[in-house]
Amino acid sequence: MEAVTATGLVKRFETTTAVDELDLAVSPGQVHGLLGANGAGKTTLLRLLFGLIAPDAGSIRLLGRPLGGPGSAALDHVAGFVEEPSFYPYLTGATNLALLAKLDGEVPAGLIDEVLERVGLAERAGNRVGGYSTGMRQRLGIAAALLRTPRLLLLDEPTSGLDPAGARAVAALLRELADQGVAVLLSSHQIGELEKVCDAYTVIREGRVVWDGTAAELAAQAPASAYALHTSDDDRALTIIAGLPGVRAGRSPRGQLAMAVQEGSLDALVLALGDARVAVRRLELLVSPLESMFFALSGDEKVDELEPYDLAERVFAAAAADT
Amino acid sequence: MSAGDMAVEGGAQPRAAGRSLDQRVFAAYQTELLKLGSQLAVRLLVLVCAIGPFAFSALLKVQSGTPADALFGAYVHSSGFAVSLVVMGFAGQWGFPLIAGLVAGDQFASEDRHNTWKTILTRSCSLGELFTGKLLAAATVAVAMLVLAMASSLLAGLVLVGGHGVVDLSGSLQSAGRSLALTIVSWALCVLPLLAYVSLAALFSVASRNGIVGVVGPIVIALATTLIDLIGKGVWVHLLLIGSAFGGMYGLFTDHPFLGPLVITSLVSLVWIAGCLGAAWLILRRRDFLAGSSVRAPSWHAPLRVVAATTVIVAVLAVASNLGPVGITQQRLNAAVGAAFNNVSLLQQRLIGRLAPAGAKLDVQPFCNRRGAKSQGPGDWLCNVYVYLPQLNAVPFQRTNVEYDVSVRFDGCYKAQSPPTFIGGSTMTDNRGRSVVNPLFVVYGCFNTL
Repeated sequence: MEAVTATGLVKRFETTTAVDELDLAVSPGQVHGLLGANGAGKTTLLRLLFGLIAPDAGSIRLLGRPLGGPGSAALDHVAGFVEEPSFYPYLTGATNLALLAKLDGEVPAGLIDEVLERVGLAERAGNRVGGYSTGMRQRLGIAAALLRTPRLLLLDEPTSGLDPAGARAVAALLRELADQGVAVLLSSHQIGELEKVCDAYTVIREGRVVWDGTAAELAAQAPASAYALHTSDDDRALTIIAGLPGVRAGRSPRGQLAMAVQEGSLDALVLALGDARVAVRRLELLVSPLESMFFALSGDEKVDELEPYDLAERVFAAAAADT
Repeated sequence: MSAGDMAVEGGAQPRAAGRSLDQRVFAAYQTELLKLGSQLAVRLLVLVCAIGPFAFSALLKVQSGTPADALFGAYVHSSGFAVSLVVMGFAGQWGFPLIAGLVAGDQFASEDRHNTWKTILTRSCSLGELFTGKLLAAATVAVAMLVLAMASSLLAGLVLVGGHGVVDLSGSLQSAGRSLALTIVSWALCVLPLLAYVSLAALFSVASRNGIVGVVGPIVIALATTLIDLIGKGVWVHLLLIGSAFGGMYGLFTDHPFLGPLVITSLVSLVWIAGCLGAAWLILRRRDFLAGSSVRAPSWHAPLRVVAATTVIVAVLAVASNLGPVGITQQRLNAAVGAAFNNVSLLQQRLIGRLAPAGAKLDVQPFCNRRGAKSQGPGDWLCNVYVYLPQLNAVPFQRTNVEYDVSVRFDGCYKAQSPPTFIGGSTMTDNRGRSVVNPLFVVYGCFNTL
């Protein structure tokens, strides 16, 4: 039984179609990344999954149960948040959680303290939420979700506003939950964070799924990664690279070497440069496979309709522009 | 961070699945009570309800003036029950709309302001259960404040003024027990219109999504009601206003209690409650909770629509306030003033030690005329009360004329005051040498306008 089964979802707002014939499946024990540019329809999809809005067409089943209409109570063991987590600013973090726990029914004694401890908010639990930073509210949102003993977590940008250590800790927590059988659907712009934790991805653009699959499928299908290269002799390095298969290189507008490297070609490149006594001083990953896929899918075509060369070119251009 | 044992095993029973509807509504109710109790404005209001009547009584104690324009106001130095009734009268006009606004006017709008609708709607309570819980919590707090104000005003009156009976709205002195019963019943009868204001505040809150409109709305409606009550002679519109219900209980304070206005205004309160809550629910359930979405209307649209709609409704009511039969007529006022004058005259005789047998009647003929207008409707009247006193050698009687300035309200209650040259000052000395209220100086009364 899938944790999320959405079929043929359509949601229109006046003249805009925010979600268009969208299918989604998330399995138990899976961290599923939801990727898309701003306005792609990610948040609308999460609202639909939470039942905050009703689809114009299609069906949703969470944990095997059909979703009620807007205004229905959330299904048990389905938790998370959409957009930034919001709380009552005039109440403390602990009181906010106590209120939410009461709405859910009684929670086991000590659970509120436990979840606050787990998200690193125990020491600030007695402070009013109005004084919390964005990152603290984010962590409180995760704590509020954990109170529902989730089997399905729907999280919208959970690491937004967190410092790198906090983001890593959240990623580790989500991985741990997934290992215990919890299904996690995670929307994020921070692709690097997704790559560390996700087992599968769905990329949406203009409300439609343009790619979905497992992390392994992504690695196999992703276009070339992009690197910045610093050597002892860049001109010579360019000449050597030109003769290597699966690698394209050029200079960025600032004169830096940038390369689009297809899976498996990096080792040969480094060895070739060493043989030619060109020292590699720094090799910096600019665009990961997931990011390159994301950039590639920002275009008009579906990724499977593009030639690998075109994908690499796009990645290269995006990486160079970014650099 | 560590997941520990947060996740439940597959196949575990849903935690909230076994909860009944009642339990879920009760959970929402408890949550809302806690939120209301955490708000400074609500805490301050509780403080005002608890201490305000004491402060009012203490203030009256140290000065000789009285709030004579309010019903029973002339007796605040002589009866603790009058203190409570004056507080109730003020509360009915301004206090209850303020309470309703503060407890219910921001309840729904604050969820929009804090963007927390999605937070609570992603828990185990439905929108309907949250709606019900919120309303029950607001009603509970509002009624609790009413009970607190009643208890406080009664206690303040009894402690600082004393437990003497109150002179009722027919001019008869009531026993302490009956005064207490009437006072408590009167406060209890305020519950329905208070809940009507709470429902109205909730509607403002839901429709405008703006806390200021929700809080101020009931007060503005109370003000509009007061203004409409000053104009228009017809009874229909007046009976339809929420505030009218706060006057319905005065019919109980007369020699011949009349229940018509009380029953009608209570039913009207029920209609307001049903109408406001029904409209609020319809608006709420039609909403897409899309905070932050581009399709959301600018934040001033909803409040503006509510203010515009309210203005139109108030204007229509004001224009229609002459509809229906005229409740305040010369004949009714004559009868009421005559009976009250008879009673307060006999009361005065008893106070100075003269024997006035029960049921004794003076030969009184009042002639009331509206000042500067046709003799009907609320406003300022002039009543000449002719008293025919059987006296030795007088043929056939000696006629004495007492002139009263009478201020008549839309609900048939009035205050009649005579210049001291006619009937003496506001106080007099009784047969035991004590300074007491001169019952003829200010006469309060009420008559049935239906």
